[in-house]
Amino acid sequence: MADRMKNNKISIFYKLQIFLAFAAVAAVLLPVFLNDSHWPVFARDYLEANGEEQTGAANIVSSIYLGYRAYDTLGETIVLLVAVSGTIGIISFTGKNLATGYNEDDFEGGNRKNRKRTVLMEVVTGKLGPVILIFGLYVMLFGHMSPGGGFQGGVVIASGIIFISLGTGGSENNILSHSGVLAKIEAVSFLLLVLASAIGLITGIGFFANPFNGNPIPPVGYIILLNAMIGLKVGAGIAYMSVAMLGDTDL
Amino acid sequence: MIDRILLLILFLIGFYGIIVKKNVIKKIFGLTILNSTIVMLFVLEGSKIGSHVPILEENITPIVDPVPQALMLTAIVIGVCVTALALSIVYRLFNSTGTFDIDEIRSKLYKDEE
Repeated sequence: MADRMKNNKISIFYKLQIFLAFAAVAAVLLPVFLNDSHWPVFARDYLEANGEEQTGAANIVSSIYLGYRAYDTLGETIVLLVAVSGTIGIISFTGKNLATGYNEDDFEGGNRKNRKRTVLMEVVTGKLGPVILIFGLYVMLFGHMSPGGGFQGGVVIASGIIFISLGTGGSENNILSHSGVLAKIEAVSFLLLVLASAIGLITGIGFFANPFNGNPIPPVGYIILLNAMIGLKVGAGIAYMSVAMLGDTDL
Repeated sequence: MIDRILLLILFLIGFYGIIVKKNVIKKIFGLTILNSTIVMLFVLEGSKIGSHVPILEENITPIVDPVPQALMLTAIVIGVCVTALALSIVYRLFNSTGTFDIDEIRSKLYKDEE
Protein backbone atom coordinates (compact mmCIF):
# COMPACT_ATOMS: atom_id res chain seq x y z
CA MET A 1 0.00 0.00 0.00
CA ALA A 2 2.90 2.32 0.61
CA ASP A 3 3.83 1.96 -2.99
CA ARG A 4 0.40 3.08 -4.01
CA MET A 5 0.46 6.29 -1.94
CA LYS A 6 3.84 7.05 -3.36
CA ASN A 7 2.37 6.54 -6.80
CA ASN A 8 -0.35 9.08 -6.08
CA LYS A 9 2.21 11.61 -4.93
CA ILE A 10 4.26 11.29 -8.09
CA SER A 11 1.34 10.79 -10.44
CA ILE A 12 2.15 13.94 -12.39
CA PHE A 13 5.57 12.50 -13.21
CA TYR A 14 3.95 9.18 -14.05
CA LYS A 15 1.63 10.87 -16.53
CA LEU A 16 4.52 12.84 -17.96
CA GLN A 17 6.44 9.60 -18.46
CA ILE A 18 3.52 8.05 -20.27
CA PHE A 19 3.10 11.13 -22.45
CA LEU A 20 6.80 11.13 -23.33
CA ALA A 21 6.67 7.44 -24.19
CA PHE A 22 3.69 8.07 -26.47
CA ALA A 23 5.41 11.01 -28.14
CA ALA A 24 8.57 8.99 -28.72
CA VAL A 25 6.69 6.02 -30.20
CA ALA A 26 4.59 8.28 -32.41
CA ALA A 27 7.64 10.19 -33.61
CA VAL A 28 9.45 6.98 -34.48
CA LEU A 29 6.48 5.33 -36.17
CA LEU A 30 4.99 8.27 -38.03
CA PRO A 31 7.40 7.98 -40.98
CA VAL A 32 6.90 4.20 -41.02
CA PHE A 33 3.13 4.33 -41.12
CA LEU A 34 2.85 7.33 -43.44
CA ASN A 35 5.48 6.04 -45.83
CA ASP A 36 4.24 6.61 -49.35
CA SER A 37 7.05 5.13 -51.38
CA HIS A 38 6.58 3.04 -54.48
CA TRP A 39 5.92 -0.66 -53.84
CA PRO A 40 7.94 -2.96 -56.13
CA VAL A 41 5.91 -5.02 -58.58
CA PHE A 42 8.63 -7.49 -59.61
CA ALA A 43 7.68 -10.32 -57.21
CA ARG A 44 3.98 -9.90 -57.93
CA ASP A 45 4.51 -10.10 -61.69
CA TYR A 46 6.78 -13.14 -61.44
CA LEU A 47 4.38 -15.02 -59.14
CA GLU A 48 1.38 -14.13 -61.28
CA ALA A 49 3.10 -15.48 -64.36
CA ASN A 50 4.78 -18.59 -62.92
CA GLY A 51 3.27 -19.40 -59.53
CA GLU A 52 0.48 -21.72 -60.58
CA GLU A 53 2.62 -23.45 -63.18
CA GLN A 54 5.52 -24.13 -60.81
CA THR A 55 3.62 -25.21 -57.70
CA GLY A 56 0.15 -26.16 -58.91
CA ALA A 57 -1.83 -23.99 -56.50
CA ALA A 58 -4.15 -21.29 -57.80
CA ASN A 59 -3.95 -19.53 -54.44
CA ILE A 60 -0.63 -17.72 -54.73
CA VAL A 61 -0.27 -17.32 -50.96
CA SER A 62 -0.52 -21.11 -50.61
CA SER A 63 1.97 -21.60 -53.39
CA ILE A 64 4.42 -19.32 -51.55
CA TYR A 65 4.20 -20.83 -48.10
CA LEU A 66 3.93 -24.46 -49.18
CA GLY A 67 5.86 -24.31 -52.43
CA TYR A 68 8.62 -21.73 -52.58
CA ARG A 69 8.95 -21.30 -48.82
CA ALA A 70 7.92 -24.69 -47.39
CA TYR A 71 11.06 -24.97 -45.28
CA ASP A 72 10.07 -21.81 -43.43
CA THR A 73 6.62 -23.29 -42.85
CA LEU A 74 8.21 -26.34 -41.24
CA GLY A 75 10.06 -23.97 -38.88
CA GLU A 76 6.79 -22.17 -38.20
CA THR A 77 5.10 -25.40 -37.12
CA ILE A 78 8.10 -26.13 -34.89
CA VAL A 79 7.64 -22.69 -33.27
CA LEU A 80 4.01 -23.56 -32.62
CA LEU A 81 5.04 -26.94 -31.19
CA VAL A 82 7.50 -25.23 -28.82
CA ALA A 83 4.85 -22.71 -27.75
CA VAL A 84 2.38 -25.53 -27.01
CA SER A 85 5.03 -27.38 -25.03
CA GLY A 86 5.93 -24.27 -23.05
CA THR A 87 2.31 -23.40 -22.34
CA ILE A 88 1.46 -26.93 -21.21
CA GLY A 89 4.60 -27.01 -19.08
CA ILE A 90 3.82 -23.71 -17.36
CA ILE A 91 0.16 -24.63 -16.79
CA SER A 92 0.75 -28.17 -15.56
CA PHE A 93 3.42 -27.09 -13.09
CA THR A 94 1.38 -24.14 -11.96
CA GLY A 95 2.24 -22.77 -8.57
CA LYS A 96 -0.58 -24.04 -6.42
CA ASN A 97 1.78 -24.33 -3.50
CA LEU A 98 3.23 -20.84 -3.80
CA ALA A 99 0.58 -18.94 -1.88
CA THR A 100 -2.13 -20.67 0.10
CA GLY A 101 -5.48 -18.95 0.24
CA TYR A 102 -5.51 -18.08 -3.45
CA ASN A 103 -6.16 -21.56 -4.74
CA GLU A 104 -8.67 -21.61 -7.58
CA ASP A 105 -10.85 -24.23 -5.86
CA ASP A 106 -11.43 -21.93 -2.87
CA PHE A 107 -13.52 -19.34 -4.70
CA GLU A 108 -17.26 -19.09 -4.25
CA GLY A 109 -19.56 -20.96 -6.58
CA GLY A 110 -18.05 -24.38 -6.34
CA ASN A 111 -15.13 -25.65 -8.30
CA ARG A 112 -14.01 -24.48 -11.66
CA LYS A 113 -15.88 -26.97 -13.79
CA ASN A 114 -19.27 -25.98 -12.42
CA ARG A 115 -18.51 -22.29 -12.46
CA LYS A 116 -17.72 -22.01 -16.14
CA ARG A 117 -20.73 -23.91 -17.50
CA THR A 118 -24.22 -22.58 -18.04
CA VAL A 119 -27.14 -24.23 -19.82
CA LEU A 120 -27.16 -21.61 -22.57
CA MET A 121 -23.49 -22.11 -23.32
CA GLU A 122 -23.81 -25.88 -23.34
CA VAL A 123 -26.73 -25.90 -25.77
CA VAL A 124 -25.23 -23.40 -28.20
CA THR A 125 -21.66 -24.67 -28.22
CA GLY A 126 -22.59 -28.33 -28.25
CA LYS A 127 -24.75 -27.89 -31.34
CA LEU A 128 -22.36 -25.54 -33.15
CA GLY A 129 -19.21 -27.59 -32.55
CA PRO A 130 -19.63 -30.26 -35.27
CA VAL A 131 -20.68 -27.64 -37.84
CA ILE A 132 -17.54 -25.65 -37.13
CA LEU A 133 -15.45 -28.81 -37.44
CA ILE A 134 -16.90 -29.44 -40.92
CA PHE A 135 -16.22 -25.83 -41.94
CA GLY A 136 -12.66 -26.12 -40.64
CA LEU A 137 -12.11 -29.25 -42.73
CA TYR A 138 -13.40 -27.37 -45.79
CA VAL A 139 -11.09 -24.39 -45.18
CA MET A 140 -8.18 -26.75 -44.61
CA LEU A 141 -8.64 -28.98 -47.66
CA PHE A 142 -9.55 -26.25 -50.18
CA GLY A 143 -6.69 -23.93 -49.25
CA HIS A 144 -5.01 -24.39 -52.63
CA MET A 145 -7.85 -22.83 -54.63
CA SER A 146 -9.77 -20.63 -52.22
CA PRO A 147 -8.97 -18.39 -49.24
CA GLY A 148 -7.73 -20.61 -46.47
CA GLY A 149 -5.09 -23.20 -45.87
CA GLY A 150 -3.61 -25.33 -43.17
CA PHE A 151 -3.10 -22.72 -40.48
CA GLN A 152 -6.46 -21.04 -40.98
CA GLY A 153 -8.39 -24.29 -41.17
CA GLY A 154 -6.51 -25.59 -38.16
CA VAL A 155 -7.53 -22.62 -36.07
CA VAL A 156 -11.18 -23.10 -37.10
CA ILE A 157 -10.92 -26.81 -36.16
CA ALA A 158 -9.48 -25.76 -32.80
CA SER A 159 -12.52 -23.52 -32.25
CA GLY A 160 -14.77 -26.48 -33.02
CA ILE A 161 -12.94 -28.70 -30.54
CA ILE A 162 -13.15 -25.97 -27.87
CA PHE A 163 -16.90 -25.66 -28.52
CA ILE A 164 -17.35 -29.42 -28.21
CA SER A 165 -15.37 -29.55 -24.99
CA LEU A 166 -17.45 -26.67 -23.58
CA GLY A 167 -20.71 -28.21 -24.72
CA THR A 168 -20.43 -31.75 -23.47
CA GLY A 169 -21.53 -30.67 -20.02
CA GLY A 170 -18.55 -31.95 -18.14
CA SER A 171 -19.15 -35.53 -19.22
CA GLU A 172 -16.10 -37.29 -20.51
CA ASN A 173 -17.78 -39.10 -23.38
CA ASN A 174 -16.31 -37.00 -26.19
CA ILE A 175 -12.91 -38.21 -27.18
CA LEU A 176 -11.96 -34.98 -28.96
CA SER A 177 -11.97 -32.99 -25.74
CA HIS A 178 -9.44 -35.26 -24.04
CA SER A 179 -6.11 -33.52 -23.89
CA GLY A 180 -4.17 -36.76 -24.23
CA VAL A 181 -5.88 -37.57 -27.54
CA LEU A 182 -5.18 -34.04 -28.84
CA ALA A 183 -1.52 -34.34 -27.88
CA LYS A 184 -1.25 -37.64 -29.75
CA ILE A 185 -2.95 -36.16 -32.86
CA GLU A 186 -0.51 -33.25 -32.83
CA ALA A 187 2.55 -35.45 -32.44
CA VAL A 188 1.48 -37.91 -35.15
CA SER A 189 0.59 -35.20 -37.65
CA PHE A 190 3.91 -33.44 -37.06
CA LEU A 191 5.71 -36.75 -37.67
CA LEU A 192 3.72 -37.20 -40.88
CA LEU A 193 4.63 -33.66 -41.96
CA VAL A 194 8.33 -34.38 -41.50
CA LEU A 195 7.96 -37.66 -43.38
CA ALA A 196 6.12 -35.91 -46.21
CA SER A 197 8.90 -33.34 -46.40
CA ALA A 198 11.42 -36.18 -46.76
CA ILE A 199 9.71 -37.82 -49.75
CA GLY A 200 11.88 -35.70 -52.02
CA LEU A 201 15.03 -36.96 -50.30
CA ILE A 202 14.15 -40.58 -51.12
CA THR A 203 13.30 -39.87 -54.74
CA GLY A 204 16.41 -37.72 -55.15
CA ILE A 205 14.90 -34.32 -55.94
CA GLY A 206 15.62 -32.52 -52.68
CA PHE A 207 14.11 -31.63 -49.33
CA PHE A 208 10.51 -30.41 -49.61
CA ALA A 209 10.56 -30.85 -53.38
CA ASN A 210 7.27 -31.75 -54.99
CA PRO A 211 7.25 -35.50 -55.75
CA PHE A 212 4.01 -35.43 -57.77
CA ASN A 213 4.38 -34.45 -61.40
CA GLY A 214 0.94 -35.10 -62.83
CA ASN A 215 1.37 -38.80 -63.40
CA PRO A 216 -0.95 -39.93 -61.91
CA ILE A 217 -1.25 -37.32 -59.13
CA PRO A 218 -1.17 -33.64 -60.20
CA PRO A 219 1.39 -31.40 -58.44
CA VAL A 220 -1.29 -29.70 -56.37
CA GLY A 221 -1.71 -32.98 -54.46
CA TYR A 222 1.43 -32.25 -52.48
CA ILE A 223 0.06 -28.89 -51.36
CA ILE A 224 -3.22 -30.49 -50.28
CA LEU A 225 -1.27 -33.16 -48.37
CA LEU A 226 0.85 -30.56 -46.54
CA ASN A 227 -2.22 -28.41 -45.88
CA ALA A 228 -4.05 -31.37 -44.30
CA MET A 229 -1.14 -32.27 -42.04
CA ILE A 230 -0.48 -28.68 -40.98
CA GLY A 231 -4.19 -28.18 -40.35
CA LEU A 232 -4.43 -31.25 -38.13
CA LYS A 233 -1.29 -30.27 -36.25
CA VAL A 234 -2.29 -26.64 -35.69
CA GLY A 235 -5.87 -27.56 -34.77
CA ALA A 236 -4.83 -30.22 -32.29
CA GLY A 237 -2.08 -28.02 -30.81
CA ILE A 238 -4.18 -24.91 -30.25
CA ALA A 239 -7.11 -26.98 -28.99
CA TYR A 240 -4.72 -28.75 -26.62
CA MET A 241 -3.53 -25.41 -25.20
CA SER A 242 -7.09 -24.10 -24.85
CA VAL A 243 -8.45 -27.29 -23.28
CA ALA A 244 -5.59 -27.22 -20.80
CA MET A 245 -6.42 -23.58 -19.98
CA LEU A 246 -10.06 -24.59 -19.47
CA GLY A 247 -8.91 -26.94 -16.77
CA ASP A 248 -9.97 -30.22 -18.41
CA THR A 249 -6.51 -31.58 -18.20
CA ASP A 250 -5.28 -34.98 -17.20
CA LEU A 251 -1.68 -33.87 -17.22
CA MET B 1 -3.83 8.37 -46.14
CA ILE B 2 -6.73 8.17 -43.67
CA ASP B 3 -6.32 4.39 -43.38
CA ARG B 4 -2.68 4.79 -42.40
CA ILE B 5 -3.54 7.39 -39.77
CA LEU B 6 -6.18 5.06 -38.36
CA LEU B 7 -3.64 2.25 -38.22
CA LEU B 8 -1.22 4.51 -36.33
CA ILE B 9 -3.99 5.38 -33.87
CA LEU B 10 -4.75 1.66 -33.46
CA PHE B 11 -1.06 0.99 -32.79
CA LEU B 12 -1.01 3.73 -30.14
CA ILE B 13 -4.13 2.22 -28.54
CA GLY B 14 -2.33 -1.10 -28.23
CA PHE B 15 0.73 0.66 -26.82
CA TYR B 16 -1.50 2.48 -24.32
CA GLY B 17 -2.93 -0.86 -23.24
CA ILE B 18 0.53 -2.26 -22.65
CA ILE B 19 2.07 0.61 -20.69
CA VAL B 20 -0.87 2.18 -18.82
CA LYS B 21 -3.33 -0.59 -17.92
CA LYS B 22 -2.77 -2.28 -14.57
CA ASN B 23 -4.68 -5.45 -15.44
CA VAL B 24 -2.38 -8.05 -16.94
CA ILE B 25 -5.09 -9.49 -19.20
CA LYS B 26 -5.63 -6.01 -20.67
CA LYS B 27 -1.90 -5.76 -21.29
CA ILE B 28 -2.17 -8.95 -23.35
CA PHE B 29 -5.10 -7.40 -25.23
CA GLY B 30 -2.84 -4.48 -26.06
CA LEU B 31 -0.14 -6.82 -27.29
CA THR B 32 -2.64 -8.53 -29.57
CA ILE B 33 -3.83 -5.18 -30.92
CA LEU B 34 -0.22 -4.24 -31.74
CA ASN B 35 0.23 -7.52 -33.58
CA SER B 36 -2.96 -7.06 -35.59
CA THR B 37 -1.96 -3.51 -36.49
CA ILE B 38 1.33 -4.65 -37.98
CA VAL B 39 -0.44 -7.40 -39.93
CA MET B 40 -2.92 -4.91 -41.34
CA LEU B 41 -0.13 -2.46 -42.22
CA PHE B 42 1.71 -5.10 -44.24
CA VAL B 43 -1.43 -6.21 -46.06
CA LEU B 44 -2.20 -2.56 -46.82
CA GLU B 45 1.29 -2.02 -48.22
CA GLY B 46 0.94 -5.08 -50.44
CA SER B 47 -2.40 -3.89 -51.75
CA LYS B 48 -0.89 -0.71 -53.18
CA ILE B 49 -0.23 -2.30 -56.55
CA GLY B 50 -3.43 -4.22 -57.17
CA SER B 51 -7.07 -4.62 -56.35
CA HIS B 52 -7.87 -8.34 -56.61
CA VAL B 53 -7.21 -11.31 -54.33
CA PRO B 54 -4.13 -13.35 -55.28
CA ILE B 55 -6.14 -16.40 -56.37
CA LEU B 56 -5.61 -16.81 -60.07
CA GLU B 57 -8.71 -16.85 -62.24
CA GLU B 58 -9.72 -15.17 -65.45
CA ASN B 59 -9.75 -11.36 -65.76
CA ILE B 60 -8.20 -10.40 -62.45
CA THR B 61 -5.00 -8.92 -63.79
CA PRO B 62 -3.98 -6.39 -61.09
CA ILE B 63 -3.70 -8.78 -58.15
CA VAL B 64 -2.24 -7.56 -54.88
CA ASP B 65 1.28 -8.54 -53.86
CA PRO B 66 1.01 -12.00 -52.21
CA VAL B 67 4.46 -11.85 -50.58
CA PRO B 68 3.46 -9.64 -47.59
CA GLN B 69 0.39 -11.82 -47.05
CA ALA B 70 2.48 -14.98 -46.90
CA LEU B 71 4.89 -13.22 -44.54
CA MET B 72 2.05 -12.12 -42.28
CA LEU B 73 0.84 -15.72 -42.05
CA THR B 74 4.05 -16.38 -40.12
CA ALA B 75 3.54 -13.25 -38.02
CA ILE B 76 0.01 -14.33 -37.07
CA VAL B 77 1.23 -17.75 -35.95
CA ILE B 78 4.02 -16.18 -33.88
CA GLY B 79 1.45 -13.78 -32.39
CA VAL B 80 -0.74 -16.70 -31.35
CA CYS B 81 2.27 -18.37 -29.73
CA VAL B 82 3.23 -15.20 -27.83
CA THR B 83 -0.35 -14.69 -26.65
CA ALA B 84 -0.65 -18.29 -25.46
CA LEU B 85 2.61 -18.13 -23.53
CA ALA B 86 1.69 -14.78 -21.97
CA LEU B 87 -1.73 -16.12 -20.95
CA SER B 88 -0.20 -19.20 -19.37
CA ILE B 89 2.24 -17.06 -17.39
CA VAL B 90 -0.68 -14.91 -16.23
CA TYR B 91 -2.55 -18.09 -15.27
CA ARG B 92 0.38 -19.09 -13.10
CA LEU B 93 0.64 -15.61 -11.56
CA PHE B 94 -3.07 -15.64 -10.78
CA ASN B 95 -2.82 -19.05 -9.17
CA SER B 96 0.01 -17.93 -6.95
CA THR B 97 -1.26 -14.44 -6.03
CA GLY B 98 -5.01 -14.40 -6.69
CA THR B 99 -5.06 -11.11 -8.58
CA PHE B 100 -4.56 -9.67 -12.05
CA ASP B 101 -3.36 -6.23 -10.89
CA ILE B 102 0.31 -5.82 -11.72
CA ASP B 103 1.06 -3.73 -8.61
CA GLU B 104 -0.64 -6.20 -6.28
CA ILE B 105 1.16 -9.08 -7.97
CA ARG B 106 4.47 -7.35 -7.35
CA SER B 107 3.73 -6.51 -3.73
CA LYS B 108 2.46 -10.02 -2.96
CA LEU B 109 5.39 -11.75 -4.60
CA TYR B 110 7.86 -9.50 -2.76
CA LYS B 111 6.02 -10.14 0.49
CA ASP B 112 6.28 -13.86 -0.08
CA GLU B 113 10.00 -13.55 -0.65
CA GLU B 114 10.55 -11.77 2.62
